[in-house]
Amino acid sequence: MHISDGVLSLPVVAAGWIITVALLVITLRWGERDKSIAEQIPKLSIMTGAFFVASLIHVSVGPTSVHLILNGLLGVVLGVLSYPAMFIGLTLQALLFQHGGLTVLGVNTMIMGVPGLISYAVFKTGYKRNISLTALGALCGALATVLAVILLAVVLVTTGEEFVAVAKLAAVAHVPIMIVEAIVTGFVVAYLAKVKPELLPVDLGDKR
Amino acid sequence: MDYPEIDRYASLDSPIHRFDPRAKIITFVLLLISFVFVQKISVAFLALLFSLLLLLVSKLPIRFILKRVQIVLIFVLPLLIIMPLTVKGTELFSVFGISATREGLWYASLIVIRSMAAVILILTMLGSMRFDTTIKALYTLKAPKTLVQMLMFTYRYIFVIIDEFLSMWRAMSAKGFNPRTNMYGLSVMGNMVGMLIVKSYERGERVYQAMISRGYTGNPKTRTAFAMRRTDYVLSAIFVGIAILVHINTVMM
Repeated sequence: MHISDGVLSLPVVAAGWIITVALLVITLRWGERDKSIAEQIPKLSIMTGAFFVASLIHVSVGPTSVHLILNGLLGVVLGVLSYPAMFIGLTLQALLFQHGGLTVLGVNTMIMGVPGLISYAVFKTGYKRNISLTALGALCGALATVLAVILLAVVLVTTGEEFVAVAKLAAVAHVPIMIVEAIVTGFVVAYLAKVKPELLPVDLGDKR
Repeated sequence: MDYPEIDRYASLDSPIHRFDPRAKIITFVLLLISFVFVQKISVAFLALLFSLLLLLVSKLPIRFILKRVQIVLIFVLPLLIIMPLTVKGTELFSVFGISATREGLWYASLIVIRSMAAVILILTMLGSMRFDTTIKALYTLKAPKTLVQMLMFTYRYIFVIIDEFLSMWRAMSAKGFNPRTNMYGLSVMGNMVGMLIVKSYERGERVYQAMISRGYTGNPKTRTAFAMRRTDYVLSAIFVGIAILVHINTVMM
């Protein structure tokens, strides 16, 4: 769920931009460790496009349908560069589909992108502890959704106490999304491990 | 899944369409920032009217706008129901022991009006120029190069990837796949997303190799022919004035 323009207060919007701009600078620098970012732009952009399209897939849950978020998977596959990718994806969502606002891009990127970065770290640590890849994928998918919902609630409630009930409802509404995300992310990671292991941030070695 | 045809009506002719893209982006974003932080309902309503006026001037078809405004309404309209019931304050009326409050209704209305004004502004801005013109204008406005380039590439490849996804989807439907939300359905969905990612990754490799062989260095040169005319300056001045005017009340008090 992305926040629209006109919902949040000025301090929250400003804080969102500060965090996002700082993280963009850091992650783009970090992503430049072994290859200049200019060289990575074409590949990174096409991957961003793939995730953008994947997030247009709707899954019916009961009477409604939810769309995939895949922020956990984005983190696992793109690593630190998932943050700029998320920023671009959300910018395009806002510009092309009016999903989420423009002035709140900073906040929305933080809500989706920070859990992505955390998923990346969790995936790498979890792999070292010998957890199966599918389970790790599912864990990252679920974790990224839960963290995003927590951040969303924090952002809404910081804007005003009027939002407490709204935040609670949003959290409940995200439970089915969390389950779908976990299952789909688990299967995607299993698929990638079989078909294209270099897309995962871990060295599978003999386990292939 | 549809193509994102935000600039479908960019070829119409109106004062908004003729407005210099750079000036349009700057002034519309200023208006946007100004409108979304309005604190008074009456002022927010005037802001909404002004956005509607711009929309009217731009001659963009109403159906195009409505389809997109709907998406924002789905997000903000529930607030109109939830907030009056949950925010504490003066009672407006009560039904079956559940009371609605004036404060809740006021706050939710303010949000709905502001977000409507915002989305109509954004649609008028983007709908009245080609999307690649928007991106070019961002270049000339010295927006961060890396991000603008990513925006451009991602936008271009979205269409290709949507086609790729749709052909995969058709192939699966032809073989009798019926998307259900159970373990099997989701596993197929997961494999499909995985395949889409792998295909895009491989495409990225090919595109990148094709680009470096044609001399890509990461710093593309664009040739643009934007020129500010007198009407552009006048329009810009008016828009900036309105963006400030909306907040003059709050500052004075």
